[in-house]
This record gives sequence, structure tokens and C-alpha cells, in this order.
Amino acid sequence: MSPKTSITLVWILVGLCYIVPYLLLGSVNAWYGSFLFFCLVGLAVIALNIHATRRFDRDDRK
Amino acid sequence: MSAASLWTGIAVYLLVALAVAWLARSDITNRRLASMEDFFLGARRMGGFVSALSYSATTYSAFMLVGLAGLTYAGGVGALGFEIVYFAGVSLVAVFGPRFWAVGKAFGYITPSEMLGHRYDSRAVAVAAALASCLFLIPYAAVQLAGVGYLLSGMSDGAISFTTGTVLATALALLFALIAGVRSVMWTDSLQALFMIVTATLVALLVVSRLGGFGVLFDRLGQVEGNVLTMPGPGFFSFVAFLGLSAPWFFFSLSNPQVSQRLFMPTSMRAMRQMLIGFLVFGFVYTLVSVLWGFSALVAFPGLEKADLATPTLLGSIYVPPLLAIVVMVGILAAAVSTIDSIMLTLSSMISRDVYAQAAARSSEQQQVRVGKWMLPVIALLAFVFAQLQLNLIAVLSVAASTGLAVTVPAIIGAFFWHRGTAAGTLLSIVGGGLFVLVLYTGGFEPLGLPAGVWVLPVSTALFVAGSLVSPAPAGLAQQFIERSRKAAR
Repeated sequence: MSPKTSITLVWILVGLCYIVPYLLLGSVNAWYGSFLFFCLVGLAVIALNIHATRRFDRDDRK
Repeated sequence: MSAASLWTGIAVYLLVALAVAWLARSDITNRRLASMEDFFLGARRMGGFVSALSYSATTYSAFMLVGLAGLTYAGGVGALGFEIVYFAGVSLVAVFGPRFWAVGKAFGYITPSEMLGHRYDSRAVAVAAALASCLFLIPYAAVQLAGVGYLLSGMSDGAISFTTGTVLATALALLFALIAGVRSVMWTDSLQALFMIVTATLVALLVVSRLGGFGVLFDRLGQVEGNVLTMPGPGFFSFVAFLGLSAPWFFFSLSNPQVSQRLFMPTSMRAMRQMLIGFLVFGFVYTLVSVLWGFSALVAFPGLEKADLATPTLLGSIYVPPLLAIVVMVGILAAAVSTIDSIMLTLSSMISRDVYAQAAARSSEQQQVRVGKWMLPVIALLAFVFAQLQLNLIAVLSVAASTGLAVTVPAIIGAFFWHRGTAAGTLLSIVGGGLFVLVLYTGGFEPLGLPAGVWVLPVSTALFVAGSLVSPAPAGLAQQFIERSRKAAR
């Protein structure tokens, strides 16, 4: 997966934050509803950024 | 909690933080001939670890543990969603970080507004961007001061007044910024960030365990009136309100100069990466902790008069041992200070570089540093006066500032990706967009039922594009700038 794809996936996740909690989880009043969804989005964002910036480590510009 | 024990905690913090600030002095920032780059950017030699902690401390402040906990108390799980959208928006650093860094080094930029002024070949653009930042960021700094005021007066039952709290935070921020410029700010930020995350997490775990554990907490939340674990939940986070709050914050890492200026500072691309990933890990934990504070307060103390009292009430309650409560309270004070001093430093560098140096074209670097240092107390005083207004619901006011700053986003993105962008378009979007936001907020208008946060980006983008299409672009400069930034992104 290219860095560009990783960042595109982050933007898609952000879009889902406006859709999923209202349309799919609106009636799940428990920890495994929107709370869990947002936690998983947060973890995915970290993982995708780690992937997207891997090339920074190989860059020896100072 | 007694005022004496609070003051003891503050005194200990003061001694340690001042020692760290003093140790951060260096031959670079404190030499007689220190340049703007030395004092305000740490000579572009900041390491990844300190950059990550300082970026976190600058971003997450009193807003998180007072404001976000309050927002969770008032609006339920939507507050977590709002913060996660913002948090995901910091991924813009992965795209723009290398570009800012490369053009900053190539053209010697000190401030993001200077970058815009050069890229669009217009002094007026630099001045407008700097003044717009002051207009919206001074209230934002005031929000942090108000957070400290609420906290100290709430926790001491009024023994420490709101005004005393704000005076204290203002004085500390000023001192940390003056001792060694960005170096003392970043090192004290780092100390405060570490201190804050450890103690705040401890409190969250302790309170949740005393409430019966995560299972019991969420069971009880499920029974609270208003379906707080859903969206829109109690009603605070209708879809439109959620969009209006979160959209401007998504661009925070670009629109807020106190953080976008940080993209000029890392010593290498590796340090830039450490800054981004370190921030994301820190931010994720801190967000969850703040939301858990709000949820715990909702279960333990339903029916508080003001949502912003959730944190002070929780810390002053039987669920938190007094010693730990004092430590955390000092940590929140530190978190507010770490945001305010960064804002003060960035704004003073902008006024010196983008306003003073534009007017006094022959001013030396040292004269600019001197003017920047003189601007620090002026900005501190303005923030202090604004804080005295004691406006309610810290988070909402803070977002108003973020909405205003979002008017610079189209010009920043255009600078890197659109050759046709011009000074006229940039001025139109910053001045016109800024006035538009001010009119909506001051008049309480919501055209078509949509808040300013929803309007700000489409309006400022339309103004930027329209103004650019009817004016000539600085073709040579645009080519040079975009080519340089493209190379950095490869």
C-alpha cells in the first residue's frame, strides 16, 4: 500500500465518522456502539500514519 | 481542598518548571546576536521526542481536561467523535509537514504568514494573515486562561479566585516564553505533557475503578437519560452541530500558526515523523482519558449547573485522593500555560516578522527579536482582559476561534497545489472570510440553519478561487515554491 493510499484511507475514515454513528449505531446505547467505533477509528488513524510516513525515516536530509 | 495545599502544589510546579526553562537556555537562543530563527524556531534543530511532546502540550490544553470533559458531560459520546475527527485531521502533517519543512529551509521562513506573503508575492498577504491570527488566537488563549480560572476557583471553593488563577497562568506563560524563546517553551511543554498524561490517566483509572469498573460505568451510562452513548444523544450533537464543530478543527494543524510553525522546526524528516506519531499516540490516550473523566462525572454527579464544572467537581470529590487531585490540578494549570506560551510566542514572531519588519524594511534580525520579545507582554495582557469576560462553555468559544482561523486554509493548500492562486484571492479569502465569520458569531446568524463552522470553508474557498481567477498569478514564484515542495514530498 502506498503512502497516498494510507492517507486516502484516513480521509475515508473521517467521512465514516459523520455517517456510521448516526445511521448505523444511532440506537446502540452501549460501549460497543459509537464509543467503540471512534476508538477503532483512532487506532486505525495511528496505524495508517505510521505506514504513510515510513519513507521519512529513510530520508536523511537535515 | 484547602487553598494552602493548592498553593503548595503550584509552588513546587513553579520551581521545577522554572529550573527546566532555565536549563533550556542555550548558546543559540540566548546569545547576544540571536536571530529570529534561533529564538523562535530553535535554529530549526529541534529533536523528534521533544517536538512530539511539545506539539501535544501545545495542542491539548485546559481545553481537553476541562472543556472536552465538559462537552462529554453535556453531549455524550459525540464529544469523542468530535475529538477523533480533529485527531485524524492531524494526518495533514503527513502531507504538508515535509512541504512546510522544505520551503521553510529553502526560503528562510520564520512564520506561516511570512510563507504565504512570499509565495503570493505580497506584503499585504503576510500582514493580513498575521493580524487574522492575532484576532482569533488571542481569544483562544483567553479561553485557556479562563479554563485555569474556572478550575482553581472550582477546586478551592472560591478561596483562589478566578482572577488569581488567570493572573498566575498569564505570568507563567510570559516567563517561559521569555527565558529562552521556543526552546524553554518546548522543554517545559515536554515536562508538562509527560506529567499530565501520567497523572490524568491515573485519575481516570482510579475513578472508573471506584465507580465499579468499566462494565459498571458503561451500564450506568446506558441508563442515563438522553442515550449519551449514541449520536445525537442528549441533543447537543445534532448532525449539523457536529459538522459545524468538527469541520474547522479538522484543519487545526494547518490553520493554527502555533502548530503549523512547528513544521519548520524539526532537525530532520525523521524528527518530523517522530513528532507526528508521538503526538498521535499521546493524543489518543489523552482523548480517551478526557472523555472518561466526563463520563465518570456524568455518572457520579448528574445535574451539575454548568458542564464545565464536571472536571473540578470530579477532582474535588471523594473519588480522587486529595494529593492526586492537587497534582492533577497543577498539571491542568501547566497544560493551559503550555498552550498559551506557544500562542504568545508564535503571535509575537508574526507581529515582529510580518508587520514590524514589513514596515521597517531595513530592520536587523536582532531588532526583530527585540520587538518580538516586547510583543509578548502585550499579547499576554490582551488575552488576560478577554479571559476576564468569563464566557461560558469553554469548548464552544474555543471552536469559534478555530472557525475564524480556518479562513487561511484555502490559501495554504493553494500555495502548495495551485499555480493560479494569487494575492488578491488570498486577501479576499482571509479578510472577507474573517469578516463573514465575525458577522455570523457576533450577530448569532445561521444562514439556512447552518452554523458558521459549516460555512467558513466553502465561503473562504469560493473567495480564494474567485479572487485568484480574476488577478494575475506570480508565475515564477509559484513554480519555484511548488517545485521545491514537490521534491520534498517525493
